[in-house]
Amino acid sequence: MMELLRAPFWIDIENWPISWEIGGTAWFPFLESIHVIAASFVVGSILMVDLRLIGLAATNYAITTLSKELIPWSWGAFIVATITGVGMFITRAASHVVNPAFQWKMFLLLLAGVNMAYFHFRVYSQIQQWDTTVATPTQLKVIGSLSLLTWSGVMLAGRWIGHII
Amino acid sequence: MPEFFTSIGGLIAGSFLQDGALWALRNIPGFPPIIQTVHILGIAVVMGSVVILDLRILGLAVPSQKISEMTTRLMPWLWWALASNFVSGSFFLFARPNRYFNNPVFGWKLSFLIPAILLTLFFYLMSRRQHDYWELNSKRLWAARGIALLSLGLWIMVAMAGRWIAYMEYIYFPA
Repeated sequence: MMELLRAPFWIDIENWPISWEIGGTAWFPFLESIHVIAASFVVGSILMVDLRLIGLAATNYAITTLSKELIPWSWGAFIVATITGVGMFITRAASHVVNPAFQWKMFLLLLAGVNMAYFHFRVYSQIQQWDTTVATPTQLKVIGSLSLLTWSGVMLAGRWIGHII
Repeated sequence: MPEFFTSIGGLIAGSFLQDGALWALRNIPGFPPIIQTVHILGIAVVMGSVVILDLRILGLAVPSQKISEMTTRLMPWLWWALASNFVSGSFFLFARPNRYFNNPVFGWKLSFLIPAILLTLFFYLMSRRQHDYWELNSKRLWAARGIALLSLGLWIMVAMAGRWIAYMEYIYFPA
């Protein structure tokens, strides 16, 4: 694994003309500010669904209605955050892959994704029985709390990258 | 930058406010990234409250939610997020006051933030006076859409300017 992370491949990425263009111009802070806005929108929109799953907010709306109306926005913002994130990553790819904060961020993103996939593929098909219930079952509370924790962790690790690089 | 503005930096510099903020940032392990993350999570709540409400008013998001109901439900979240962001932000403001009060981008951030707060407060207060104030007739609804568009732009620019403070200080921060 370490060998892979130290491979010359990552240096090659840094030497792409586009990497130099982004890293050496105002493109970098521009991408970064879009990244912050998109990422906070991802968390802000997911937060509404999570708090509903836990039973803390928006309890007058069905879980399915909230998910259907909000999650597409989360995905849209996530795509913007990914594009801008990749744009910043390629400027210092070799440093990022060995940066513990970056590694944590990727790991926590994966956990958030697994949690979301579990909810979508394992729980969502039986959601009808709790769809409009205010007092949600423990399973949904755990999924909502894990989502809040992992996404906050993604933010923390993401912010920490800049303190290590 | 106007002189009254830059002089605020001078007032804070060397005061107990600066000493306290510097102490926290230097001595609590991981404090700078943690408090910055608290600040960004506050922005996430801004996105999940007023920005989503603006998108709803513009007819772009959450069609099944009612504007008046959303306003009542979401605004308290915004006020708490703003309060939290004033606290998390002041650690950095107090620690290096001249970095901010000499930086025009910080001035821009405030000139987006203050109208954004006032506009949102106005929208909220009218809605509190009369629950369906903004939905009563098409004239009101159009006014609400204008406010929502302006509000959306202002809140996005607050976040944008916030991020650019750090880049502009290389140009404007004297020593």
